[in-house]
Amino acid sequence: MCEKGNCENTNRAVTIPEIATIDEIKDEIEDVKTFYLSFDDKKLDGSFRIKSGQFIMCTVFGAGEFAVSLPPSPENDRFHISVRKVGKVTDALHELTAGDKVGIRGPFGNGFPFDEIKGKNVVYVAGGIGLIPLRSSIVHVLQHREDFGRIILLYGARSPKDLMYEYMIEKWQKIDGFETFISIDNPVDGWKGEVGFVNQLIEKANVPAENTVAFVCGPPVMFNNVIRDLMARGLKDDSIISTLERHMKCGIGKCQHCAIGRTLVCTDGPVYTYRQIKTLGEQI
Amino acid sequence: MFLIKKSEVLKLAEELSKTYAVYGPVVEKESNQTFFVRPDSIGDIDLDAPIPSQPPKHTVFPQIERIFHYSYDKGAKRAEIIADFKPEPKALFGLRSCDLNGVQCLDRFFIGQEFTDDVYLEHRKKTFIVTNTCVKPFKQCFCVCTDSGPSAREGYDLNMTDLGDEYLVEAGSDRGKALAEKMGLKKAGSGHLEAKKAVVDGSISRFESIATDNKAWISRVMNRITTGFIKGEIWEYIGNQCFECGACTFVCPSCSCFNIEDVNRKDSSTDRLRSWDSCSFEGYTRMAGDHNPRKPVEDRRNKRFFCKLSYSQSKKYLRPGCVGCGRCQWVCPGDIGLPNVVTYIRREITSR
Ligand code: SF4
Ligand code: SF4
Repeated sequence: MCEKGNCENTNRAVTIPEIATIDEIKDEIEDVKTFYLSFDDKKLDGSFRIKSGQFIMCTVFGAGEFAVSLPPSPENDRFHISVRKVGKVTDALHELTAGDKVGIRGPFGNGFPFDEIKGKNVVYVAGGIGLIPLRSSIVHVLQHREDFGRIILLYGARSPKDLMYEYMIEKWQKIDGFETFISIDNPVDGWKGEVGFVNQLIEKANVPAENTVAFVCGPPVMFNNVIRDLMARGLKDDSIISTLERHMKCGIGKCQHCAIGRTLVCTDGPVYTYRQIKTLGEQI
Repeated sequence: MFLIKKSEVLKLAEELSKTYAVYGPVVEKESNQTFFVRPDSIGDIDLDAPIPSQPPKHTVFPQIERIFHYSYDKGAKRAEIIADFKPEPKALFGLRSCDLNGVQCLDRFFIGQEFTDDVYLEHRKKTFIVTNTCVKPFKQCFCVCTDSGPSAREGYDLNMTDLGDEYLVEAGSDRGKALAEKMGLKKAGSGHLEAKKAVVDGSISRFESIATDNKAWISRVMNRITTGFIKGEIWEYIGNQCFECGACTFVCPSCSCFNIEDVNRKDSSTDRLRSWDSCSFEGYTRMAGDHNPRKPVEDRRNKRFFCKLSYSQSKKYLRPGCVGCGRCQWVCPGDIGLPNVVTYIRREITSR
């Protein structure tokens, strides 16, 4: 077998993972850590290209493999993943320390549009750790600030300590014209931002209906409310974009675990427009 | 086109066994069932045996196999991945046409999409296929409805048809032809081709009513399933009869869902194994954190029949996903084998 698998067409690891080292680990919010990675095969550090919205399959040696979205921007960003502890494999990942090795296959999936949305207003709506898969696109769009209209982040979490990437948001806020609206579900002492659910920020931010794309990512309940309010504001179903999660094993459209409607999340997704999501006929 | 005497037909298998591990239909004495296996001796292969209880899919897509292994030394922080996957060359001797179509579904799905499945490709590169025309159908067969039999049309190296005293041997590839020539087989003439046609026509005329009744309906049903015009109650009715045993998936020549698991060995190395899985199992779509978007069993059953009988899925296989072998009808304890499902949907269409 060709050593990495499928290397005629692509230089990404399809079947056999590439080995990477955890250079640094950062504690984010409770149960979430960010792992900064670099490939042991130094050639790959330069040639490993990603698109916002894609994902990789990450092997925790001795525990198994899981699919995880890619938060780094495709340009000038450090390679990392942010992972919440939710099961056997991610628990094992959280046990690792700097210097430990992991395996990487990918990147896989279609990715968010970028060139197609140039010239438009971009609204990001995230709930909780839903900000992780959106980070890549946010950073990329901000790296090309002049190519876009209004750039708005509407972000909601249960409480202040559930806000992901707060330190990043502060940095982004210094960029001219980046608008942020942040809310928490219930009031707490010392909180100066908004209180309530994230869909209520849509009106507050006066999200424009014309020439606007919205990226939405968060738990299913939040998702449905946000979609409803965005549509009510006049956004079209094909300018609302989201990324779906499914149980995944292979990442290359073969194991079929991630089948949704007539599509596979790993190769047809994970990025879908709301227009597509409506036709899938399955729970998201 | 060549001819080989009936009494000598297994010599082909003998010859193949010099290069390949030869698999063929063998009747198990205790159970009187046919299995497609590697026989102890080539003489055990029985070309007249009924359709095997299990399809030959395990020869190109084993029920469980190791795709690579690795070891991780946490102290030294050293990971080593050993990719030594190397399946042995296999010859499938006496494959039935439906099962060949099943293999072709797998080929197109595993090899002919955006990504190539390296593991499957590795098996397939080394497979030699000899098909055997069904001179009479078996009880549960309905390949005539799914355009996959009773005689193979393409995709074989050699295709054999029983003409009475001898077999007509058609070559479908250069290496098939080379083998026939090497064995010094007699050339066949156009008369033999006519004799074959008579045999196939005779076979077609003997299908059971489950096949003949459904024949015209399969495409109607496919249309309904594709367009989603089937009432929720029908899927519910079908789903409620499912025991979630997975048998239908495992006996289906074109079902190919798999699971991947890392299994730790005593010597502290780890095997990455892939094994058959079934969309009928509840855990199939369950994600870490226990969210399961596809819970009710009718959701899951609907998925299987969508896979077998929708145009959108046919695009992947370049043919319907069902090859008409009838095995799921045979094994399903809930009586919702594919032909029955077609019947249920057909009843719904006609009752309006
Ligand atoms: S769906 Fe049933 S009848 Fe059709 S190919 Fe599969 S096992 Fe055979
Ligand atoms: S064989 Fe029948 S009962 Fe078993 S999983 Fe398949 S449809 Fe369900």
